[in-house]
Amino acid sequence: MELQKFAYDNRLVRMFMYATILWGLVGMLVGLTVALELIFPHMSASIPWLSFGRLRPLHTNAVIFAFVGNGIFTAVYYSTPRLLKTPMYSELLGKIHFWGWQLIIVSAALTLPFGYTVGKEYAELEWPIDLAITIIWVVFGLNLIMTMVNRRTKHIYVAIWFYIATFVTVAVLHVVNSINFPVSFLKSYPVYAGVQDALVQWWYGHNAVAFFLTTPYLGLMYYFIPKAANRPVYSYRLSIIHFWALIFLYIWAGPHHLLYSSLPDWAQALGVVFSVMLIAPSWGGMINGLLTLRGAWDKVREDPVLKMFVVGVTAYGMSTFEGPMLSLKSVNALSHFTDWTIAHVHIGALGWNGMLTFGMLYWLWPRLFNVKLYSRGLANAHFWLSTTGMLFFAIPLYFAGFTQSLMWKEFTEEGFLKYPNFIETVVQILPMYYIRALGGTLYITGILLMIYNLVKTTQAGKFIPFEEDQAPALHVQHHGSDKGHRVIESKPVLFTVLSLVAILIGGIVEFVPMFMVKSNVPTIASVKPYTPLELQGRDIYLREGCYLCHSQMVRPFRSEVERYGDYTKAGETVYDHPFQFGSKRTGPDLAREGVKTSPVYKPASWHYNHFLDPQRVVAQSIMPPYPWLIKNDLDISTTPKKIRVMQKLGVPYPEGYDQKANDELMKQAREIAGTLRQSGIEVSENKEVIALIAYIMRLGVDIHENNSLGQK
Amino acid sequence: MTNTDENIRKEEGYEVDTATNVRLIKDHEYDGIKELDNDMPSWWVWLFIITIAFSLIYLVRLWVFRADDLLQEKEFQKEMAAAPKANKPVEELAMAWLDDDMSLNNGKETWTKICAVCHLADGGGLVGPNMTDNYWIHGNKVEDLFAVVTNGVIEKGMIPYKDQLSPRQRLEVISYVMLRLHGTTPATPKEPQGELYE
Repeated sequence: MELQKFAYDNRLVRMFMYATILWGLVGMLVGLTVALELIFPHMSASIPWLSFGRLRPLHTNAVIFAFVGNGIFTAVYYSTPRLLKTPMYSELLGKIHFWGWQLIIVSAALTLPFGYTVGKEYAELEWPIDLAITIIWVVFGLNLIMTMVNRRTKHIYVAIWFYIATFVTVAVLHVVNSINFPVSFLKSYPVYAGVQDALVQWWYGHNAVAFFLTTPYLGLMYYFIPKAANRPVYSYRLSIIHFWALIFLYIWAGPHHLLYSSLPDWAQALGVVFSVMLIAPSWGGMINGLLTLRGAWDKVREDPVLKMFVVGVTAYGMSTFEGPMLSLKSVNALSHFTDWTIAHVHIGALGWNGMLTFGMLYWLWPRLFNVKLYSRGLANAHFWLSTTGMLFFAIPLYFAGFTQSLMWKEFTEEGFLKYPNFIETVVQILPMYYIRALGGTLYITGILLMIYNLVKTTQAGKFIPFEEDQAPALHVQHHGSDKGHRVIESKPVLFTVLSLVAILIGGIVEFVPMFMVKSNVPTIASVKPYTPLELQGRDIYLREGCYLCHSQMVRPFRSEVERYGDYTKAGETVYDHPFQFGSKRTGPDLAREGVKTSPVYKPASWHYNHFLDPQRVVAQSIMPPYPWLIKNDLDISTTPKKIRVMQKLGVPYPEGYDQKANDELMKQAREIAGTLRQSGIEVSENKEVIALIAYIMRLGVDIHENNSLGQK
Repeated sequence: MTNTDENIRKEEGYEVDTATNVRLIKDHEYDGIKELDNDMPSWWVWLFIITIAFSLIYLVRLWVFRADDLLQEKEFQKEMAAAPKANKPVEELAMAWLDDDMSLNNGKETWTKICAVCHLADGGGLVGPNMTDNYWIHGNKVEDLFAVVTNGVIEKGMIPYKDQLSPRQRLEVISYVMLRLHGTTPATPKEPQGELYE
């Protein structure tokens, strides 16, 4: 057989490596900033775009889609051509992919801090950016699939299976969850509402973890661990079983983010059991990673690359055991809404994604620059800083989550809440926030060492833009020579289609009944659409990222009903585009904030004072001040359009209401300004704070008004 | 491993990984990466089977047997039924100011934790009225203050505390207001509200 000569292009790999490091540093610095803002609420100096609610989405998006995203593409663009013995299909597509993705990241950084957000976690980006992501993702997929078509190896290796699953699933998740109806160039409303929106969002959110943070990194692991250790993969059979089991089961598990919410019991149960069933398939990956190192443990002791891989894969094993445990209702009742979740995700992000990325970079750099790594000692120091940084980050937060949850639930002997004031439970865990910030600082210090080390390596070496290789052409396949799984390994397009089928099933089984069967969201007659002023206020609530610290979901527990009021019903959220259940209670739940008979009720003047200066009313509060809400005029030019879009989404405003909406808006605003004036607060009715107060004081009241009417 | 074993295996056409003495799968090589012919660890297979069994039982318990602990409405009713609400002691309290140090300290604690959110820690008032001056909206007798704390004045934003504070706690906090805060000079006193009581 004649050998064909070809070359691998390292230039794009280098660009993705640089981008990984740059965005990793940026994303983590923003993370450290928001961690410090929780300790020093005045750190943002009343600058809107520096406030916690605006920066936190920037942190999560940057780490997930910019740092890990570019890490994925580094691995894919380096390993795929070598595994398939062919250059990437198109240099042009590769460049469009690279620059397109960086442009998306920059546009995220230019919109999120300025409050342009859909208000759904990890899917915050507004619709034009969503469209750009879709296009670039297709460019990436096309490049990947065409490279497989052009391959010179008969079969595709397990790393590529995981890349395929990543491509198809992320495409499906992103498109389905981001169907938003535009109001203007940078404002849109999701087509789903309330508990249905929640189900779609957490199907997406959970599987963003699965198919953006996990499967591509399993692919990365399957290439770089055997390479770095120079060992064969532990078990091919395990690869097959855990791959298909993982991608089929993962997609079902989203509802575990909504345990004890108003999601129906059957859907919650699916979230529980599919999470539990994920332990073994996840551990299959860990076993195959760690046992590949059998026979190379002596190397692990010395080589910082392998050490990082070992800690990374171990962190993966830990968090994929912890995840299913957190999905058990009894554990979730404790862990949900607390810092426990934050600790859990950072074991994954700092341990699994971070360590694997660093290991890959330290392995690739000397090969691409044809020189020895500048300093193995510095790399080892980086390893220790990352490992201890991760522990200093996570352990205090486990403690904080556990402590705060127990305080929320504790009753006195007389049957009253032991800590009725939420702030007591915050003050208790503040020391843990200090240690967490220290952990983050250690971790970032490690990255700075890495950057120095890699810059020095680059200076000493010479970049190899192309690597020559040769292989025989792939001849027409002999049908019948393959058996079992080998058959589809030689048919990458079929493989792609089968993966797609595997990941569609779970979503369809959960969504169809949720959207088609009415009993899943029982209607409550007294629940009415928001008034125009409340709707505008709600958009301010989204803009400021209030949902990142305040939930709107009272769970059916005695401790929550006593603290907040009636637990939340599915029918109450049917006009919420998007839903605002939240996932973390850094501050108290707000679902019953407007209910006069609830223990959390506050008058308008309290809210005004609290937005202006939270520490004046709650001395130890860690909420930042929002003086700009009092300064800014409310933009009411958007009201008619917003009403019309809501009507299109099925919110029953009367015909022609869009034209009357602003009159009603001003009427309600004047009422609230009047109430404030009676309390001695002079504020013009056209300020943003009026709309936000209107929204907050509407929360949770509809079902109670019904009760009082019934009593009359 | 003896040489003969190795020879036999070579004749059968497969290689063996010398470090672990495990067979390598034939024709599986990708950019130099080979794959071993290990089976899935049996403990792993059992783990998988057990989680699947757990899941089936879980779903059958919910969907067929409607188990109480898997229906959150039922779970909630059970928890509320078990709550010691009825046991909230109806303490026979004399309606008189409590002037012992312990009561006043407890009252101060409640004031700082709960009341200060609207009346400020020094009692000067912000959203709620100033408690240090001689002006009272709803009277200044012990029964008056107790009634306000117990039932609230919801149209003015004062919520009822009968479900959050025990009768003794309520009495302690109003005693703290009357015997400790009243008559002091707060940092930023709110203008007088209500009627003057000398």
